Amino acid sequence: MADADASPPQTGEPISEQEALRRLRQSEDSSQQYYGAWWLGRMRSQHPEAVPLLQQALRQRRPRDSGEGVEENAVARNAARALGKLAPAAHAAIPDLLDTLEDPDDGLREAAARALGELRAVEAVGPLCNRLASGPAVAGAQQADSPRLVEPCEALLEALGDIGLAQPQVLAVVEPFISHERPLIRSAAARALLQLTGDPCWGERLVALLEHPQLQVRRAALMDLGAAGWRPGFDAIARTLTDNSLKLMALRGLVERGSGPPGDEALLACMDGLL
Amino acid sequence: MSHHPPEQGNAADAEARIAAVQQADSAQALLRATQELARCPEAHAAPVLVEVLGFNNPGAAVAAVDGLIRLGPAAVEALLQLDPDNYGARAWAVRALAGIGDVRGLELLLEALGSDVAASVRRAAAKGLGQLDLDLLSEAERQRVRACCLEALLAAGADGEWVVRYAVVVGLESLAQGLAAESPERLRAQAGLDALSEAAEVTPPVVQQRARLALARLAIH
Repeated sequence: MADADASPPQTGEPISEQEALRRLRQSEDSSQQYYGAWWLGRMRSQHPEAVPLLQQALRQRRPRDSGEGVEENAVARNAARALGKLAPAAHAAIPDLLDTLEDPDDGLREAAARALGELRAVEAVGPLCNRLASGPAVAGAQQADSPRLVEPCEALLEALGDIGLAQPQVLAVVEPFISHERPLIRSAAARALLQLTGDPCWGERLVALLEHPQLQVRRAALMDLGAAGWRPGFDAIARTLTDNSLKLMALRGLVERGSGPPGDEALLACMDGLL
Repeated sequence: MSHHPPEQGNAADAEARIAAVQQADSAQALLRATQELARCPEAHAAPVLVEVLGFNNPGAAVAAVDGLIRLGPAAVEALLQLDPDNYGARAWAVRALAGIGDVRGLELLLEALGSDVAASVRRAAAKGLGQLDLDLLSEAERQRVRACCLEALLAAGADGEWVVRYAVVVGLESLAQGLAAESPERLRAQAGLDALSEAAEVTPPVVQQRARLALARLAIH
């Protein structure tokens, strides 16, 4: 599923690239840094200073402590997210993101995992597998003091699917999560397995989730089918009970990432009908 | 409904379905009653369906939009009388007007495409501006309306959201089909499609592909 927290952190006047860089560079006001980091990712900045400044922001992370204003790690999280959008320049930051994947803050690990997936960082496959290796019962258990899981399983699984290294040891780590108690995790695991193996049985799992009673689950399954570009799911996507915006995003994924029947023209006609 | 005696029975049935919408006392009841009414609405149900657009019940609003589109031109007056300050209702009304294609909706569609905050509303408006029904207009009026639509769609080709640019392609294609080949307007529409068919940082492959399809279809016509 897409990063839920990727919307603009505040509304305000449009700013320039120079202004975004300036806000990230200063260290007095972390909410300004937060906005600057978000802006550079959103606008896909190609400025040579963007990646080094984001790397620096990523290294500023510290133990979670929500004091006044923006919590410190919020800047690092946004920096990680922005780096995920800045390939190829951001490949230089892969070692920083791998470090971040070991951070005690699971929210930061989540952002780092997504960025590593977006950057298709093959060197992250081992570390991502390590975080999941203890399986649904440990890595996938709920934290004692919060509804979050011990590991950000959804992001870790999706990253493995996006990177696409279909080795037996990777599949062995992902497969147990197909029976996780949470449907969102099952969806992420099915997506990753579909991307890694192309086996239609995983696509069918996602199609089944399109009929889940919870809207949030139906939406996740839509996004996952789109991410995998699984064209046989086309009809079920068009019929899902949700707003057309998400169906359009999923169908875009089928057009851009999928192959085989139905052909492009049928998919585009379906999209036209949903506008 | 063939077991009803003609006319009277249908009218009574319509009244009952309108009353069911007006008296619905839960979100679920409103959804069901609206779906019932939208299935085969009559002209005087239009204001009731329009009212549903403002109830902040997305499921019912979707059904109401379907019903209003089914009513076609008979629903337009009620849609245009909508409270301009009720943003949610207006967004649904734009979708209904886009689907109906009545030229009386032109101003609202132009405004929506140019300035609505929601991409879902802008995309509906872009598609709608390409498929207005202009058959009953004089030739001069038709040209004026098409020129307005063309300018608005070309400007929205730079929209920040891919889905709006996708809808602009769809709108430009259907608009261009009504323009004489080799006319300056048709050539401008094709130039707009051409720009959207080219690889660019901001134009995702799906938009390029849809624009190429539109250009191929226009070349045949």
